[in-house]
Amino acid sequence: MDKAEIKKRVEKVIAQVLKIDPKEITPNANFAFDLGADSMQSIELIAAFEEEFNIQMDEQKAREVQTVEGAVDFIAGYLK
Amino acid sequence: MTYAHLTEDQVAQLVRQGCAASDWRSVTVAPVCDLDRISGVHFYGAVQIGSTAGTHVVDGVEVMCGIYRASIADCVVGDRVRIADIGSVISNYVIDDGGVIQDVGSIVAEAGSPFGNGVELETINEGGGRGVRIINDLTSQVAYVQGALRHNSEFRRRLNGMIDGKAAAARADKGRIGERARILHCGSLRNVMVGPHAFLHGAQYLENGTISSCAEHPTEVGEGVQAKSFILSEGARVDNGAIIEKAFVGQGVKMGKQYSAESSLFFANCEAFHGEAVALFAGPYTVTHHKSTLLIAGLVSFYNAGSGSNQSNHMYKLGPVHQGVLERGCKTGSFSYLMWESHIGAFSVVIGKHYANLNVPNFPFSYINEEDGASKIIPGLNLTSVGTVRDAEKWPKRDNRKAPIKRDLIVFEVFSPYTVEKMRRGRDELLSLSEKVPKEKSFVVVGGAQLSRLLLKKGAKYYSLAIARYLNEKLIDRLREAVSRTRDWKAATGSLVPTTVLKNSTEWMDVSGLLTPRERLVQLEAAVAGGGITTYDLLLAEFRKMYDSYWADEWRYVYDVYAKEYNVQPDTLTKEQALAAINEWESAATSLHGMILEDSKKEFGAFARIGYGVDQPEDLMQRDFEAVRGTIETNSVVQRLVNEGAAIQRRKQEFAELITSL
Repeated sequence: MDKAEIKKRVEKVIAQVLKIDPKEITPNANFAFDLGADSMQSIELIAAFEEEFNIQMDEQKAREVQTVEGAVDFIAGYLK
Repeated sequence: MTYAHLTEDQVAQLVRQGCAASDWRSVTVAPVCDLDRISGVHFYGAVQIGSTAGTHVVDGVEVMCGIYRASIADCVVGDRVRIADIGSVISNYVIDDGGVIQDVGSIVAEAGSPFGNGVELETINEGGGRGVRIINDLTSQVAYVQGALRHNSEFRRRLNGMIDGKAAAARADKGRIGERARILHCGSLRNVMVGPHAFLHGAQYLENGTISSCAEHPTEVGEGVQAKSFILSEGARVDNGAIIEKAFVGQGVKMGKQYSAESSLFFANCEAFHGEAVALFAGPYTVTHHKSTLLIAGLVSFYNAGSGSNQSNHMYKLGPVHQGVLERGCKTGSFSYLMWESHIGAFSVVIGKHYANLNVPNFPFSYINEEDGASKIIPGLNLTSVGTVRDAEKWPKRDNRKAPIKRDLIVFEVFSPYTVEKMRRGRDELLSLSEKVPKEKSFVVVGGAQLSRLLLKKGAKYYSLAIARYLNEKLIDRLREAVSRTRDWKAATGSLVPTTVLKNSTEWMDVSGLLTPRERLVQLEAAVAGGGITTYDLLLAEFRKMYDSYWADEWRYVYDVYAKEYNVQPDTLTKEQALAAINEWESAATSLHGMILEDSKKEFGAFARIGYGVDQPEDLMQRDFEAVRGTIETNSVVQRLVNEGAAIQRRKQEFAELITSL
């Protein structure tokens, strides 16, 4: 799966979980500061990414990811 | 010592010193009593006075023993006592040696007073039906069975008989101020027993109570306290305007700053300030520190109530009949609200306002928050919080109790058969739901809370990790010890057969601090109801046995559940299976530890820095934060977690080497 496809699906998941307009989602957007994710939504996001991409992420490392771009890169690592 | 009637010369001396008596023939003194130290005293009825030699320090000034400016009626005054400036009267008391009573309105006891013993408190359910009768040596366990085991009328009848016995024994014809107790600048005390070494200063009004105290842990009652129908235990400190009515205050409890408590119990090491409790059963280590916190009609323990935590027990129908249970270790966030009836699983965190009746005991360690008026739950998330780790460490360290007998029996373990079994049930329910719930559904409702479909597997994973860590850790600890001792594999594994026999090792109860298999409590209940346990002391001894058997009972649980989870009985383990167990433990422990470490680092992240270095350039903001909070590299908790991560690997390696060395 190429990065553009991953990005598109990551943005779709973020919009669904955080209930925000996809247009608000930019690559540099910080999940907490810019998109308003609280700690519980962050866990839901991890679970949603795992389901969307059918992967099992290292949760400690996943929790370190703070931006949309970071999430795309992190997930891409599992899809290689 | 023999006490003598006063001679005519002695009476004349006392009269010259401003004294008077209703009948001088009823006043007796010890031979060593220095009458120069008795002045301005009016005696009524029979009064006996010991030696007046010696001094005490009061308000920083060394003052003489003796009796000055007081009315004394029907009292026995011991040696080296100072009584001074009594506004009204001290009546019907025995004042033991070394006591100091100064600047006090009145201290009066009526013959036959129970001194607070036997008073019934409508705890847990304000509407009644769960009454707990208080006595001086009430324990959290006895209170629990009084309040919780209501189904067995014969048990209740017999238990009530025991309590009656204790309450009757506490009745006395005179009140008592114990040895070296000090009562200074207080208002009125009526029917109050004051234990040895107790310190009462500035208390306003105390009625029908006992202040148990001891040299090892004096009890303190401070400024402005009003208390009615109460018992305070050794080492309790109630001060700063606390108002209590029908209350039991356990060992080492701190209460003050205008706290108000009615029909409530507070067991070992509770802390209660500013707020209000009504019909609260506060098991050990319940803390509520802030204003606007109303804890009502609840059964809790190891509970941390944030500011403004509230519950409601009244739906304007049949009165205040609703009750709630927060299992041990719960926290409620600032201005959280729970509508009773609710039952929250152990070590859960509740944030926001919840208008559903939540019933989620099988989802311990959860986060329960509110979103757009709906309750949402993330099962098991608190397993990954550094706060839970801190709690587990801090409670044993903060055991305040110094009295020779620690009444409440407390098993501190966060991970125990009680919590692990609930996690097993929670995990199974989550896995079952994850198979049933279609992808189109965004959430399911469990126990009144919305649970995101996405989190079904996530919650099950958290529980699975914690269960695996617990079971394998217990197993390898036992195995390591056995192998080191025997240096023989067969002998080592053979020694893993539990010594305890339980019909059902997976059903456990939390008897307000004491974790025990349910059948042990059932046996106790049957023994009381059947007349096998006939006295209060025997009842306490039975609880003590349950407490002493915790570790053996826990191993029985681990042994049985390990067999269920891994299809192998610990005593039949092969070396390969033992190595698999250490790998399983290492994997689970590392995963959970990693998440906890990450959680601890959040304390140094961007959010944590908000408000530091106000109006300063960025580099000074950073330096301000570091000056106040330190850094990840210097924070002791984070660094300890980092070291623990390394310790997991070391432990695995050492165990593997030990096993392969055989």
